[in-house]
Parts: sequence; C-alpha cells; structure tokens
Amino acid sequence: MNDTVKPTRITTVPRYGDQPADKLYLPAIYAGIKVTLGHFVRNVLDITAMETLEYPEEQPTDITSRYRGLHRLTHREDGSIRCVACFMCATACPAQCINIIATERTDGIDEKMPEIFAIDTLECVFCGMCVEACPCDAIRMDTGIFSVTGKTREDFVLQRDRLLSHTGAFETEQTRNKEASHD
Amino acid sequence: MSTQSVTITVDGTPIEVNPDRMLLPELLDKGFSIPHFCYQESLGSDGNCRMCMVEIAGKKRPQISCDTPIVAGMEVRTRGESIEKVRRDILELELINHPVDCPICDQAGECSLQDYYMEYGLYQGKVDKKEKHHFDKHIDLGANVLHDQERCVLCQRCVRFCRDVTHTDELCVAGRGDHSYITTIPGETLHNAYAMNVTDLCPVGALTSKDFRFQQRVWFLATSPSVCHGCAKGCAIDIDHAKSKYHDDTIYRFRPRKNPEINGEFICDAGRLSYKETQTYLLRTCLAKEEILADAEALDRMKAILTEDEYPIVVLADANLYTEELAALQAFARTFHAQLYAPLEAYHDPAFGDDWLKSSQRAANAEGVKRLGIATEMPTLNDNTLVINVNHPDGHRTANRIDLLTHRPDENTERVPARLTLPIAPWVRSSGHLINEDGIEQYCEQVLRRNDPTPTLLERLAHFLDKGDDTILDNMETAL
Ligand code: SF4
Ligand code: SF4
Ligand code: SF4
Ligand code: SF4
Ligand code: FES
Repeated sequence: MNDTVKPTRITTVPRYGDQPADKLYLPAIYAGIKVTLGHFVRNVLDITAMETLEYPEEQPTDITSRYRGLHRLTHREDGSIRCVACFMCATACPAQCINIIATERTDGIDEKMPEIFAIDTLECVFCGMCVEACPCDAIRMDTGIFSVTGKTREDFVLQRDRLLSHTGAFETEQTRNKEASHD
Repeated sequence: MSTQSVTITVDGTPIEVNPDRMLLPELLDKGFSIPHFCYQESLGSDGNCRMCMVEIAGKKRPQISCDTPIVAGMEVRTRGESIEKVRRDILELELINHPVDCPICDQAGECSLQDYYMEYGLYQGKVDKKEKHHFDKHIDLGANVLHDQERCVLCQRCVRFCRDVTHTDELCVAGRGDHSYITTIPGETLHNAYAMNVTDLCPVGALTSKDFRFQQRVWFLATSPSVCHGCAKGCAIDIDHAKSKYHDDTIYRFRPRKNPEINGEFICDAGRLSYKETQTYLLRTCLAKEEILADAEALDRMKAILTEDEYPIVVLADANLYTEELAALQAFARTFHAQLYAPLEAYHDPAFGDDWLKSSQRAANAEGVKRLGIATEMPTLNDNTLVINVNHPDGHRTANRIDLLTHRPDENTERVPARLTLPIAPWVRSSGHLINEDGIEQYCEQVLRRNDPTPTLLERLAHFLDKGDDTILDNMETAL
C-alpha cells in the first residue's frame, strides 16, 4: 500500500577505550576499588544500612505494581471468570507454555470459556506478553508473587482454578473492574 | 459471443480483459484486491453489499464493480484517497451494530470484516459499545449450522446458496432495512445434504459450524490438499490439522478445495464430517486371535503362515486404497501366487447417492481398481483358502485369514477372529493417487505426521516383496 521506503536509521556509536589513559587500565581499576571500599566502610560503620536481605525470614518490601509476578485470571463484576478462551495469550506467548482447551459457556454470561487453562511456570519466561495480548484484561501478573515452590513438575503447572484464586497485590478486583467497564 | 479481449486501464496500467464478464471477477483474477462481501465466485453478483466500489472515469459516483459490465477503453481506479474513503465509510456502516466479539468468534483469522478493517478501515469507531443494537446470537439453523445475527452483514450468500445451488430454499431474509435478519422459512430448518457449505461461504462469523465450534483457532491450523474418501466422486478437499505441544497431529476439519472439474467449491456434509472416521477407533496393536503381539513377531508369523501353509491364497483389497497400494498388492499376489480381488458390491449404497456430488458407489478408488484389472466380484471362500483381508468391509467371513486393518473391528458385528491382525495407517497418514468415477486422477498428500506412526500398507508389504523388483512401479505406470 505504502510505496515510500523509509530511510534506514543507523547510528554509529563512538568507540571508547582507544585513548592511552584507557589502555593503562589503572584509572579504571582505581575507580572500581573506590566503589567497593566506599560500600565496605559504610557497611562496617552502620550494619543496618546493608542492602542484603535475610531471605526468607526477611521478605522484600520493594515490589512495585510494575513487577511481573505470578499470573492470575481475573473475575467479572459478578465474580465469574473473565477469560473467554480466545487464545490471544497462548498465541503471543514466546515460551508456548499456555495450554487452553475451550468450551461452550452455558451460564448466559458469555459464549465461550476455558475448560482447561494451564500455565507451565517452569517454561514461562515471565515476559508479560500474555498480559499485553489479552483483549479482555483477563490475565494479569500483578499478584506480587515472586516464588513458586513444588515437589513435582506438575506442581508448577498452574491450573485454571489456582490462577483464579490468586488476588491482585496492588488493587482490588472492584477498582479494576470499574476501570475495565469504561472501555 | 465475442471472446476477443479488450483493453481497459486500471490504476493507470492498461490490461487485457474478457469483456463478457463483470468488472470485479475479472479484476480479482488479475490480482487486484477489491473488498467484497456479496459477490462470490460460484454464486455470482448480487449487488447488495456495496463494498466493491471502484471509480470509473466519466461516472459521477463510484460504481459497484461486481455488477458493472466491461466496456473497452474504460478507466478504472481501485485505489486513491476518495475511493478509499468510500470504502471506509461503507465498512463503518457495516460495523455499526457489529458486536466485534472476535475473541469468541470462530471466524477470527479468516474473516473478511477483520481483513478489510485492517486493510481499508482503521477508523476510530463512533458508536459506543452500549449503544449497539442487539440481535439473537445463538440460533441453531439445523444441519450443524449456528447463526449469529449480530455478526451478519446480510450479503445473502447463504440464502443464494440454498436458492440457486441446492434449490432447497430453506433460508430467507426477514424484516426490512436495519431490522433485516437471516432466518429459516417458518417451520423449516436447514436440512439439505450440503448445508454446511454456508459456513464456508459466509464471509464473516455469522454462520459457523457446530462441529468445529471452539475446537481450535484457525491460525494454528496447517492445511494439506487432499481428496475426500467418502464416495467415488472424490471431491477435492483441504484438510486442516494441527500438531500442538500437548496433542499429536490431529485433524480439525475438512473444507472443500476448488476443483472446477469435480466439485466446484463445495462438498457434502457427510464427506465434511468424515474426518472423524480417520482418527477414531484406530487399530494400534498386532493381534494373534485376541492376544497382543509385538510388531516384529507379528510380521514373522505372517511370513511363516504365507510360506509354510499349503492353502491357496486370496487377497481381498479395499477399493479405497491408493492406486500405488493396489499395485503393490498385485505384486504381492504375484509373489505368493495369490488371487487378488477388490469386491465392489459391499460399497454400493443407493441411499447415499444423489444427482449432484454424492455417488452411490462409496469406494474412493473403484475406478483405479478397474483400471488395474483387479477382479471386482466376491470369490467363494471357505476355510481351505487363506484370506489376506486388506481392510475390505466384507473380508471377515472366514476364520483362516490374516487381517490388515486400519480400524478396530466394530464390536457390534459378528466377526470370526482372524489368525493374525496387523494395523495399517489410515489414508490421511499415507499418500497416493485416486481415480474418481469420472476417470479424473488426483493425488493425496500425507496429511498427518504423528509421533506414533502406524506402518502404511506399502511399508508392511515391503517386508514381503523383493526390493529389487521394479515391476510394482512398471505395473502401475502401464495400468494408468
Ligand atoms: S509471561 Fe510470557 S512466557 Fe509466561 S505465560 Fe505469559 S507470555 Fe508466556
Ligand atoms: S486470558 Fe485473555 S488472552 Fe488468554 S484466552 Fe483468556 S481472554 Fe484470551
Ligand atoms: S465476524 Fe469477524 S469481525 Fe465479527 S466478531 Fe467474528 S471475526 Fe470479528
Ligand atoms: S449469514 Fe453470512 S452468508 Fe448469510 S447473509 Fe449473513 S453474512 Fe451473508
Ligand atoms: S460485491 Fe459488489 S455489491 Fe457486494
């Protein structure tokens, strides 16, 4: 359709490290040691300011709403499943770890829903493409859950009901639903 | 009748066209893309959707190209700002009350509305979702066809199919103007033997197949050209199948493939639904009477029976086998001094045939059998004959036999267990030629490549034939 060809935009990045001062390496080594020593002195003087977490006794407190945690399937205002099994997430998923089997929805709320919706978190790369792709805001990664444990491989394949049971860590279903109904 | 081509100018390029046709089909054949709903190759023009507008020099307004005769020297514009605005506006009109529920629509991915919106639309919708008028979304028209009135663009392809092609007239447009909708004639349901073709004809998701509903998204499907094995007509089909991470290669639907010599653009519903038979009740293991055997063991026993037993051998071949397989059976019969038959009587089903596509000869390669000179009558058999039954429907009458079967024997029919039973791959898992009842030869690709392949008949027979023997191929070539 569009016949005009866009000129390719290639930028040449200047190359560093050719100067005699760079080739000496000593200034760079000095700069590095300065940082390390700075932290060392600060930590020795005030041990509470150390960045290290005593995980798992201590839990992180700096997880923000942009953090991609474990997935959840969201609900409609009436509490029923929002997902319509459109396969957009499964199509977008680069790890191909979403397994959906669709079925007829008979409760009159919609026509289609997932009978099986499973995410294999051992294969998931937590890229968030599924959330981006969903046309219904039915899948989110805002649970703040950053660790999954299990004893068998199957434990890591999160099934539909488990995904529905996860709650959002940063806003309630109600506030989200309000947003969604304005689309 | 003039068949001399004339020259017209389209988008500034002079082209040679056939003046006996309308503008749209001619331009589509020449590779121009013009959006259209109601025009369909087999159904012709109807002029109701107004989607196929083009500009013609000297005409005040844009014209619908599907109903505009070709005049020598005419100047047509299919692109440009003004005609594209017209298209966008018509599309917007079409979509005013459209539910845009592509996420739950089976047509998504092969929908003309979606394609045209992406190519010519891309406008910002002016109608709020809440203001849209609603119609019935789940109407069972009969014959496995579901109708969604909200998605319908009223192109009437479905109505014209039932009126002009099957002459059964089940569908009609009711109501007027904005209130029009597609429905069945009162008291009627869709009931003709070709009804499911309307799901292919419908350019949008307004008519969908109950059988395919929600089974798979179309963009995951791979398409292989093949030929329906439902009867001797041999309609050309496309087989849509998919192999996903958690499921082996599986067929989801048969669709007609265009072949003007045989089936045009249509197939019958029985053939369309026959994909199920290619992947259910398949035989997977070798059996000696009722006992399960390993493959190698079964082949050894078969060899022993064939070489040691004194009985005369009769081979009964299924008339649905590919020509290559039949020729290999001929070579097999020569090697073991056996008589080869492909009795056709078992395939005769007068209730199935009609005066259009469906044939009462329900063997896909009956013509191939005849051309290879294979006997088509049923020989008299008793237990002093060793029968090699290659999937023949009537091959199970005597006990002294070896079965090569695609499917598990039907538990409801009285059946003497065979001495030995070996599974062979059904036709979608092998390849070969078929000759239909009108003598047209077609090639079928291997469609399914399963993780658990069953040996094909040719692979089975290779154990018994001299590999250096070229007579199989020679024989095939002379026969065809
Ligand atoms: S986060 Fe990425 S890898 Fe994981 S399920 Fe979503 S799309 Fe797939
Ligand atoms: S989660 Fe969203 S994208 Fe995935 S199937 Fe459900 S509705 Fe579609
Ligand atoms: S008919 Fe086409 S545009 Fe309409 S919902 Fe179905 S896929 Fe979407
Ligand atoms: S149901 Fe489909 S084929 Fe029939 S008029 Fe509507 S859009 Fe056209
Ligand atoms: S295709 Fe020409 S009016 Fe519909």
